[in-house]
Amino acid sequence: MASLVAESRVRDGGEPDARARLAELEVALADEIRKSETLARVNQAVASSTDIDTCVQVVLDGAREIIGAAFGAFFYNQLEPDGESYALYRLSGTAPEAFASFPKVRKTEVFAPTFENAGVVRSDDITQDPRYGKNAPRRGMPEGHLSVRSYLAIPVATRRGEVLGGLFFGHPEPGRFSPHDESLVMGLGAQVAATIDSIKLNAGAVAELTQRRRAEERLKFALDSGRMGSWDLDVATKAYEASDLCKLNYGRRPDETFTFATLIETIHPEDRPRVLAAIESAIRDGTEYDVEYRVVHPSGELRWLHARGRAAQTADDGGVRRLAGVSLDITERKRAEERQKLLVNELNHRVKNSLATVQSIAAQTLRSVAAPEFFRDAFETRLVALSHTHDLLTRESWAGASLREVFDVELHALAGEDRVGFTYPSDVRLNPKAAVALGMGIHELTTNASKYGALSTPNGHVAVDWAIEDGVLRLTWTESGGPPVTPPARRGFGVRLLERGLAAELSGAVELTYDTVGLVCQMALPVRALEP
Amino acid sequence: MKTLTSLKVLVVEDEALVSMLVEDMLTDLGCTIVGPAAEIEEALRLAGSADIDAALLDVNLGGRPIFPVADALKARGVPFAFASGYGEAGLTDDHRGATVLQKPFREADLRRVLETLVGQTA
Repeated sequence: MASLVAESRVRDGGEPDARARLAELEVALADEIRKSETLARVNQAVASSTDIDTCVQVVLDGAREIIGAAFGAFFYNQLEPDGESYALYRLSGTAPEAFASFPKVRKTEVFAPTFENAGVVRSDDITQDPRYGKNAPRRGMPEGHLSVRSYLAIPVATRRGEVLGGLFFGHPEPGRFSPHDESLVMGLGAQVAATIDSIKLNAGAVAELTQRRRAEERLKFALDSGRMGSWDLDVATKAYEASDLCKLNYGRRPDETFTFATLIETIHPEDRPRVLAAIESAIRDGTEYDVEYRVVHPSGELRWLHARGRAAQTADDGGVRRLAGVSLDITERKRAEERQKLLVNELNHRVKNSLATVQSIAAQTLRSVAAPEFFRDAFETRLVALSHTHDLLTRESWAGASLREVFDVELHALAGEDRVGFTYPSDVRLNPKAAVALGMGIHELTTNASKYGALSTPNGHVAVDWAIEDGVLRLTWTESGGPPVTPPARRGFGVRLLERGLAAELSGAVELTYDTVGLVCQMALPVRALEP
Repeated sequence: MKTLTSLKVLVVEDEALVSMLVEDMLTDLGCTIVGPAAEIEEALRLAGSADIDAALLDVNLGGRPIFPVADALKARGVPFAFASGYGEAGLTDDHRGATVLQKPFREADLRRVLETLVGQTA
């Protein structure tokens, strides 16, 4: 190519002297080689530039050197806010200040072909060009403009035809730019366009990637804060991707490999068919995957998981390609639900038992009262006694109560409470059942004492003694100072409760002795039946 | 069909007041009471060897489930019913479907249950 150019020059020049021709050819060749080298260097620099500034600058400097332009400029095909001038982007061969004082480049007849991608404008003397000086108000270059006679302008357009801007070269002397220069710069222009395009696309991709990464970070933060694991199942290959938290949910370390098969194995065998059916249905019908199930960690620990997901990607044939979602360890919630269920059941049981107890008190009070008019008082007093023991137990969340406390609540409402003396080495803890039974028994003793026994007279006295011997609580209730006592003609509710009921319930023995000095009640109850 | 009169009924109940009520009801129905047992050991002993026609079992004896006693009765072919505040929900899978008297119950309920139990063996 270099020789062709040299020949044309020679032909044009028309110098007959062979030696001079040879010298001229050598100079032309050297010049051509230099241009080629520069072009190669510029091409490489353009191709490897990662930002538009560098790319444009390299091209301007390189092209100016190759074609011997005094200066070069790149204008963006982007109208300034004034709506008619173009944005100067880069300069070569002159300081930016050289342009600063001039009006902006406008879409004049000289510039229009470039920005409209209508082709190259090359002129040996632009001031002589028919398109020059047509536009008001200046009709030509403004005063003090860099002197331009030789002019070369190349549109920088993408292959899609989008004009990114224009490369402009000038020289104060006319006739400096040859058709060969034109073709060289055109090639560079095309390359700049391609590079800018690719940099822009790349920047877009980078921005999108950054945005996606940020979104992923936000999602991960949200998932981590909610202790949610995320997962993704390839429906066809069963390839399974699990986040660290997801692996943790199945008792796996983040660095362990965790396959779909391992996941299914980790699910409790009883729950496995249900989970598989849910997965299948989500894949087949696109329904939401929402299932709670148990997993057995490698350590043997049983945990509850809640997994939710849905078809994340649909294949061309309409089938599901991926199923993705989250998993959450809900063991604590499940345990709380279980506890609550147990509590409600237990409460129901207690209420039903209490109703049966009240039913019994009512039935037996009715049997034992001499006349119906005494029923109400006797029944209500017993109901209140039962309620007092319940209050006592509720204070300790039904964990139990102490024997002395049970005595105190039953004696509290009673006049002459201070006439009951206690002697015991230590208090005794009672389970709720024993507390209720003893509470009723003590209630019958105190009621009887205040109606007919030691507490029915001002001088009577009750001594309560207890001690534990060989695992047996031996308790004695001894009345004295009351009216003379005789055994009752018929066994009432209290006697029956103490001698039969209490003895049977607490696997011990209760004996009532009607001593002339006063009633004596002796209890022998095994501690194992009393302990909480 | 056997009548309830002279029917020997094992009572297993750990609450004195409830036990007294059941005893009264059974007495009114003409039955003979075996027990009452308030502890599982005593209940097992009676279930295994006592002369009984039927049994009424409290499901929970001081926190211990009654089911070993039920199993012993089943082995002997003695019909029984559970008496429970839990209702049928308190039963293990083995005994689901067994006769349950939900506490509190009326004497008429007890009579009906006993008649059904006795009818099973007649």
